[in-house]
Amino acid sequence: MHARSLVPVAVLLAALLAAAAPAARAVPPGILASPTDEPLEPDRAFRPDARLVAGEPGAAGGTERHGIDIEYTIAPGYYLYRSRLRFEVVPPTLLVGKPELPPGIEVDDPFIGKSFIYRDRVTIHLPFAVGVVRPGRYTVRITAQGCAEDRICYSPFPQAVTVNVPPGYRVTDSPSAPPPGPRR
Amino acid sequence: MNRWLPFAGVGLLAALAGLSLWLAGNSATSPALAPGPIEASPAAIQAARFTDPAGQGHTLAQFAGKVVVVNFWATWCPPCREEMPAFVRLQGRWGGRGVQFVGLAQDDAGKVKAFARELGVNYPLWLGGAEVMDLSRRLGNRRGMLPHTVLLDAQGRVLESRIGIYAESDLESKLAAVTGK
Repeated sequence: MHARSLVPVAVLLAALLAAAAPAARAVPPGILASPTDEPLEPDRAFRPDARLVAGEPGAAGGTERHGIDIEYTIAPGYYLYRSRLRFEVVPPTLLVGKPELPPGIEVDDPFIGKSFIYRDRVTIHLPFAVGVVRPGRYTVRITAQGCAEDRICYSPFPQAVTVNVPPGYRVTDSPSAPPPGPRR
Repeated sequence: MNRWLPFAGVGLLAALAGLSLWLAGNSATSPALAPGPIEASPAAIQAARFTDPAGQGHTLAQFAGKVVVVNFWATWCPPCREEMPAFVRLQGRWGGRGVQFVGLAQDDAGKVKAFARELGVNYPLWLGGAEVMDLSRRLGNRRGMLPHTVLLDAQGRVLESRIGIYAESDLESKLAAVTGK
């Protein structure tokens, strides 16, 4: 085949690419230039998981732990505000004590002063009250707030995780000891 | 072998066209910053009530006839604070040409007042409860991200809804285009 016979193909190819290019640019306002610049959806940036804790040793060999561990996996470059986390268990027949929040990383904001944030991974313990815990499926409703470093922040957003309490589950000791000291 | 060249050319063409269309479709859908539908009417936008840090009530209706730049922000949001000095400069340059900036926050009045004083903010910073972020969502901010900036024309219609930091030069070009000045 002669090279000249490929000219129409090349022309058609160029025309198709030219037609597709404006479509690629015709994105709604507010979208950054590259898909890689897009911040993650809140549920992908901050992934909570719930785990039932049944009589595991507490910190420094303290009292046994009973309750729910909320384990957050936080995407690189993202952080959660410690003081803005809220937890609610439904149905409320499951009695949960005050959340045990690890101290987190101290940051000194030039305007809002000192605050504590979580990066990478963090586990928050929701201790059960002593006694028999009614078996069943429970949902922990979470309200969280955080940011993608230097780019955007997420106003308080809801999340939910579930945990199953099996029949016969019993809290045999008081809630766990406080978590270890702060990281800087 | 030459007789296969046209088929190879068509195959290449199809692959490249497919790639182009995929790129076009991929960039036009689903990114987290892509604004959602505008659900608030101009009347609803202008009727929403806010208070200034001193507790006095306001609505956006008081700026009817101006191009209004509504900036949803919060003192706890570092990227919001980062872009605000540019808004102060733009308000200074465009205030005389029919442009009015307004900051809306669901925040603590004392912190907002202190921030306005420290930065020398030359436009109103108003406050509200959950209705602030509710309005932001109805103006296309589906995920409640901050900062969120909305341009309204002189009739209160939404010209643009942008999530994330708005570069000063981009916003200035937009204001020039919108006002024709």
